[in-house]
Amino acid sequence: MAEEAKTVTLQTSDNQNIKVDREVAERSILIKNLLEDLGGESGEEIPIPNVNEAVMKKVLEWCEHHRKDPPASQDDDSDSRKKSTDIDEWDQKFMQVDQEMLFEIILAANYLDIKALLDVGCKTVANMIKGKSPDEIRKTFNIQNDFTPEEEDQIRRENEWAEDR
Amino acid sequence: MASSNMPSFPAKNDVRATWTYLEAGVEKIMTNLRGGMDMKTYMGLYTAIHNFCTAEKAVAGHSFASHNNRGGAHLLGEDLYQHLIEYLKTHLADVQTRSREHTDEALLTFYIKEWNRYTTAGQYNNHLFRYLNRHWVKREMDEGKKHIYDIYTLHLVRWKEDMFTGTQESVMRSVLKLVEKQRNGETIEQSYIKSVVDSFVSLGMDDQDSSRTTLEVYKEHFEKPFLLATAEYYDNESKQFLAENSVVEYMKKAEARLDEEKDRVPLYLLNEIMTPLMRTCEKALITNHSEALRDEFQNLLNQDKQDDLGRMYKLLARIPEGLDPLRTKFETHVRKAGIEAVDKIAAEGDKIEPKVYVDALLEVHTQYQELVNRAFNGESEFVRSLDNACREFVNRNKICKSGSNKSPELLAKYTDTLLKKSSAKMNEEDNMENLLSQVMTVFKYIEDKDVFQKFYSRMLAKRLVQATSASDDSETTMISKLKEACGFEYTNKLQRMFQDMQISKDLNSAYKDWLEKALDEGDLKNSVDATYHILGTGFWPLNPPTTPFTPPQLIVQTYERFSRFYNNKHQGRKLTWLWHLSKGEMKANYCKVAGQKASPTLQVSTFQMAILLLFNDSETVAYDEIAEATKLDRDTLDPSIAVFIKAKVLIAEPEGAKPVSGTSYKLNYGFKPKKIKINLNIAIKGEQKQEAEDTHKTIEEDRKLLMQSAIVRIMKSRKKMKHQQLVSETIQQIKSRFLPRVPDIKKCIDILLEKEYLERLDGDELGYLA
Repeated sequence: MAEEAKTVTLQTSDNQNIKVDREVAERSILIKNLLEDLGGESGEEIPIPNVNEAVMKKVLEWCEHHRKDPPASQDDDSDSRKKSTDIDEWDQKFMQVDQEMLFEIILAANYLDIKALLDVGCKTVANMIKGKSPDEIRKTFNIQNDFTPEEEDQIRRENEWAEDR
Repeated sequence: MASSNMPSFPAKNDVRATWTYLEAGVEKIMTNLRGGMDMKTYMGLYTAIHNFCTAEKAVAGHSFASHNNRGGAHLLGEDLYQHLIEYLKTHLADVQTRSREHTDEALLTFYIKEWNRYTTAGQYNNHLFRYLNRHWVKREMDEGKKHIYDIYTLHLVRWKEDMFTGTQESVMRSVLKLVEKQRNGETIEQSYIKSVVDSFVSLGMDDQDSSRTTLEVYKEHFEKPFLLATAEYYDNESKQFLAENSVVEYMKKAEARLDEEKDRVPLYLLNEIMTPLMRTCEKALITNHSEALRDEFQNLLNQDKQDDLGRMYKLLARIPEGLDPLRTKFETHVRKAGIEAVDKIAAEGDKIEPKVYVDALLEVHTQYQELVNRAFNGESEFVRSLDNACREFVNRNKICKSGSNKSPELLAKYTDTLLKKSSAKMNEEDNMENLLSQVMTVFKYIEDKDVFQKFYSRMLAKRLVQATSASDDSETTMISKLKEACGFEYTNKLQRMFQDMQISKDLNSAYKDWLEKALDEGDLKNSVDATYHILGTGFWPLNPPTTPFTPPQLIVQTYERFSRFYNNKHQGRKLTWLWHLSKGEMKANYCKVAGQKASPTLQVSTFQMAILLLFNDSETVAYDEIAEATKLDRDTLDPSIAVFIKAKVLIAEPEGAKPVSGTSYKLNYGFKPKKIKINLNIAIKGEQKQEAEDTHKTIEEDRKLLMQSAIVRIMKSRKKMKHQQLVSETIQQIKSRFLPRVPDIKKCIDILLEKEYLERLDGDELGYLA
């Protein structure tokens, strides 16, 4: 019996409906739990009050690509996953977006509870920081330096041990 | 739609508003989940928690979080966690209050309904508060904070504290009442109990690791009272039942109850309870009444109630040391039965048929072996008791009292009748194997195995020499059985005897070839056709003839020819002729078989042959002439002649005269036998009895030698030894052959002292003199 792919409709914060395969939507643990708890047979739209259409589409694009990934195990806090900043090729390309979108994706992944996507997002940001001086980092993320020179000096001294030599 | 009842969506940094919103949702989940929940509310609740936790700073309600002021990443959420705890406490206080309105089954229904509702809600809340779980709770737990749990576990912890503690006793009371009803035969709603068990198990949170559960709560609050109630129930029931019914009925009841309890476990209990539950039931149903059961054992044995005995075995086998007293009783009983069986046949007369005796022993053994196998599961300890009992009655019974070696002697004689050709019915091969195995069964219990050996080897010798053995196969089987039981040494001589017979066969055919070459045709025609058995002196329990004897010339020629041949082959060997064991056939050409043309053949001993051959020269021979010619002593001569007189081969003159000087014997020409072959080689009476006595005498002699050589062997290796120690070691060495008596051993030691193999040293010590 060929099982028909079940679909669900997501309603974004800007009131746009997106129809998507249930399997894809369930990459989000939030949506997965909701469908489990409430049944999800009614065809009712699922409101996603914290994500707008543009971001949602981007997130769903990722979910679509990763729809067959094995579900992350409960305590997948293995060191290798934490430490490595390696990102697979498709994900790297996927993350080539403007900074604002990048942060929107990270926030959405955190909200929707999509651990793998959250990881990829955070790794991307980490790679942007890696090997940069504080000034360069400030420049990259457009951050105002609110330290006084004395404060900055003290912090540098305290963290001398961590310097890359 | 339900969502319309919800308060308005809160601002993300307003604790009070956020909780107000959440509380409405949680309340709905907790009390009215059946009313349904829409997606908007679900997402609203989740989002409110998410928003609150990700807010940069909470503006109000610092009541809980104020102290939680770490630098850097500050995770919000404690407020919500604490509010939830307060909510659950209030909710459960109410549930507990309402539970008081119910008792018995109604209470169980209530408890289970509330529990199911509560845990379902807990799962919902766990999902809705997942953001809190993922961040704030996780962080707290990673930092090692005690008493912080994920939201679902928090639900269980609260239930245990605020609901379970106050109600578990009355819940258990109701459970136990229900179980009692079922034990009384009523039908009950088993799922109630199963649900309670599951609930109690779920509450066994592990303080160290919230993802694991332990059975502590269940063990303390379910298992313990359950076992107590079980013990009490069966204590009462068993006492009452035994007071009103027989022990046999009680055993059936206990058996049924034990099965019933065992079946109860998979129905609604946790498998872990199986062992303690069985222990409890066994104690109440068996251990506490083991005396009464054991008292009945003798009765059941007397009546041979195998099923009931089996039942008793199975029951008492379940408790530690339950069977020991039974084994002792069983052993005594079997011994008595054996002794009684022997008494019975002993009462029938002095002369006991070996078969009757052995059958009596076997019957008792077979009966109780069957009992052991059927009722006592063939258990090795009972087998041992059976063996002990059999050893006792086989060696010490009424018949053995008259002669301590009676058992092995009778057994050997019985074996002889089995293996002899003349035995009335030809035993089928299978049956023979069977019968020999039975012989071995008795043999196993015989203590004086050396006595058996002596008798057996004599009888085997006779069977071989007289060619009365029924089959070589059976003989070999028996010898290998004995070898298996007692070792190579025990059967060595028996085997050599067997070999001698084989070698003799080859020798005879070689002799025949030699004869054909050495003799011309005329000599060959006139020579006596003879076969010879060459028997090694050391291996055969045979003595040279007691009577002097001059063989007739014809025989002398014959055996001298053979001696020449033999000495050619084996130089320096001395041949001693055992005339008393030899025999031959003579054709009586002077008469005919009744109604036939053929002359009869007489089967005779060599001695008889010597007598009859005298009549070839003269028809009448005087007694003195016979005595002179044969040189036989009177003990042999007279009975040999008597056989001829009785068979009417010879006639005494004067008629009826005693075999004394002056009597003559005449060949009876009117001899008209009915058969072609007439056996006149009839064993002389008194010979057999004499033989048995001789055998016993040689046994005594052999035993002395056996004991002496054992003593010398021991002393040779030890050099010095206490008297007492030497005695016990000697017993140890010899007991596989026979049980030596201490005075006999002492006598042997004295002999050895006298012969100066040993010397007395100070302080009861003996020394070895090389």
